[in-house]
Amino acid sequence: MKLTLIHSHELPAGVLGLAVTPDGHRAFAACADGALLALDVAGGGAEAFEGRHQSFASGCALLPNGRTIISGGYDGMLLWHDVETRRCVRRVQAHPFWNWQLALSPDGNRLATVTGQYLAGGWKYEPAQETEPSVKVYDTLSGDLVAAFPHAPPVLSCAFSPDGQHLAAANMMGEVRVWDLQSRADDKPAAQWTSPDFTSWGTIKTHHYCGGIYGLAFSPDGTSLLGCGMGPMTDPMAGNGKMTWQRWNWQKGERTDQIKDGQHGSGLMEAVAWGPDGKHFVMAGRQAQGTWNAAVFSAADGSLLHSIDTKQRITHARFTADGQRLILSGAIGQPKRTGELWPPWGRLQIYRVEA
Amino acid sequence: MTNCESSELNPGPCRTEEHRLHRRLFLKGLTGGALATVSSFSGLFHNRVFAAATKKAQQHCILLWLCGAPSQFETWDPKPGRPSGGPFGSIATKIPGVRFSSLMPKCAGIADKLNIVRSMKTAQTEHFQAITLLQRGNPERAGFVRPTFGSALSQAMGQLDSPIPNFIFLDPIPGGNEFEAFKAGNWAGWLGAEHAPVRLGGDYTQFLNAATQTIPQHDRESRETLRKFLTAKYERDRQSGVARSQNAAFERMKGLAASADLFDVNKLPAKDRERYGPGSFAQHSLMARSLVEHGAPFVMVANGMNWDNHVFQHEIHQMLVPELDRVLFHLISDLEERGLLDSTLVIAMGEFGRTPWMNAARGRDHYPNAWSMMMTGCGLKRGVVTGATDADGVDVIEKPYNEQNLFATLFTALGIDPSAEYDLPGLPTFHRVEDKAEPIRDLLA
Repeated sequence: MKLTLIHSHELPAGVLGLAVTPDGHRAFAACADGALLALDVAGGGAEAFEGRHQSFASGCALLPNGRTIISGGYDGMLLWHDVETRRCVRRVQAHPFWNWQLALSPDGNRLATVTGQYLAGGWKYEPAQETEPSVKVYDTLSGDLVAAFPHAPPVLSCAFSPDGQHLAAANMMGEVRVWDLQSRADDKPAAQWTSPDFTSWGTIKTHHYCGGIYGLAFSPDGTSLLGCGMGPMTDPMAGNGKMTWQRWNWQKGERTDQIKDGQHGSGLMEAVAWGPDGKHFVMAGRQAQGTWNAAVFSAADGSLLHSIDTKQRITHARFTADGQRLILSGAIGQPKRTGELWPPWGRLQIYRVEA
Repeated sequence: MTNCESSELNPGPCRTEEHRLHRRLFLKGLTGGALATVSSFSGLFHNRVFAAATKKAQQHCILLWLCGAPSQFETWDPKPGRPSGGPFGSIATKIPGVRFSSLMPKCAGIADKLNIVRSMKTAQTEHFQAITLLQRGNPERAGFVRPTFGSALSQAMGQLDSPIPNFIFLDPIPGGNEFEAFKAGNWAGWLGAEHAPVRLGGDYTQFLNAATQTIPQHDRESRETLRKFLTAKYERDRQSGVARSQNAAFERMKGLAASADLFDVNKLPAKDRERYGPGSFAQHSLMARSLVEHGAPFVMVANGMNWDNHVFQHEIHQMLVPELDRVLFHLISDLEERGLLDSTLVIAMGEFGRTPWMNAARGRDHYPNAWSMMMTGCGLKRGVVTGATDADGVDVIEKPYNEQNLFATLFTALGIDPSAEYDLPGLPTFHRVEDKAEPIRDLLA
């Protein structure tokens, strides 16, 4: 397994959300300046969509028909865009607070959005309970809300199962809930567990919580769920917790595997993605210490197969349908203003995947 | 009307003993018919009439020390829509044309009772040095330790014989990296240990009860008699300033133990605790209000270095700023309702601001070049926003103020002469604020 960089593009603002056409020729980037951009992956030319978010654009999902893309933002809005005309055709206020992440069901009929503000709920700054459902599901055709589920905010990540029947969502405290979208018995989760290995409470400096599960992905066979983030730190402001993934048998809520000792550096991992054949997966994020910030792992035994240092923070990873390309979105540290200009700090990189 | 007229309370050159405040109150006590019961200067404060007058005339200061340094963009100087602006919007305030971060709706509603400085410009980029600078108000001079603001106020405004310490520091977090190093240092400088803070809050408060619970009453009295005799003899025989300071500190702790309930969060009214919010910073801010109500001159509240968000800036500020918003709203409203705001200076600040640019770890780094802080209450106007930064918040473009301007303002607001010399035989000349720094006149009442 080997990743080789073949294209690298700069974008005006950090990229927080990424969607890619199945053939990998076009990419869509949700950016920290509120814009949604369409990019020619090979040439790098970017065109902005008309509709913008009033805060960071945090995610985007391309419907299977290729004609509609939906973006989410820290303004709590969902925007439906026509890909051809780049016009905004629908606006829905999904949440009063941020949309942290979006997930699209495999058939493209359902869009999940997760939210929640971290507010003080106790002496030790335990998160306060939600005041609105933290997980919502929208019909992508009509824009109607079709389901809402309770969780403990802030809920950072979500993913649909390959058959579209289950939705998983995870939060800052490492709690994962999985719902059956068809039975929906009292909206109770079909499975629920908490991993303490993603959350920090500073024993020095910062007496509050941070971290959590920033990325979720079901395995292609639907039997397991993968989550990523950063391990606990005594000083969370060091940002040097262990690069972490864990894999669970989600129906039992049991951990079946995790990143191996000696194979990780430190830093927040924000992205996980399965290779289409289910034989490997990639985890990526920011490197605080170590030798890599994106790595491919074997699905069979969880061992590290290949790693690269992209010199940037990675927010999302997407394989093309044939598995031969890997597209990474992200950001560098925002450069200082030069005169009246702010240098570009968004990044998009395309890698060739070789067995 | 405030109790802050500098002409009346201006102490002139400071002396460690008779302070003008105390002499004025002494006269008040005499005219109040207290003379017959006054047998000594220190005994004045055991007289009820005098104690009441003292309490009424006493000025106070609450410093909400936002250690680690909050972001000006997510509090008092938002730049929505700019590359530096971050994800949070801004909202209109009670002051026409002035907007705060959308994370501060409660403060926006009482903006006409606050004063904001948006043009702080200081020189230290690292915590320890910046905390030193913003706690002492002047650049360091090698070989000399200047008292911190709280110690200076302890000397200038403190009561001689109050069971409540003149400088209370509430901070429940034992660690805190650079702040911990500062906390272990010399707070009172040349003023001596009697003006050092008594640190309480969180688990520290338990120490207050521990001594009284473990030693029987009769044993405590015997020990105390012996301790008093020996230490007084040592102090007298050796002419020891250190012993004098330590004895003073011991007396403070003794009084403190008698006031232990004031430092017990669980003894605060439940409704107030609910209003202020459940976090340890909010609860200690409420405690600060209660202590001021009971006569404490200076209370500083901190909570480790929570604001130093090099990582997860927006993820953590989304929690910290609403807590601060809620605390300030209730604290200022409560002080006003109780008739204490005119005599209580309330300050909310850190040691610098945060960078306009985001780092790759989702954080903002240290930025002393252009930052904001809030002050209101005693000796100040209300509803003033002074100074300005450019469109991106990178530079100050109007009325830059440094730590000396700030301290000159704070002292002046409290009726304390900022240019007064310390009485330091054998030492070089030091002033409360050096270089004849001007106060921020826009803010002074």
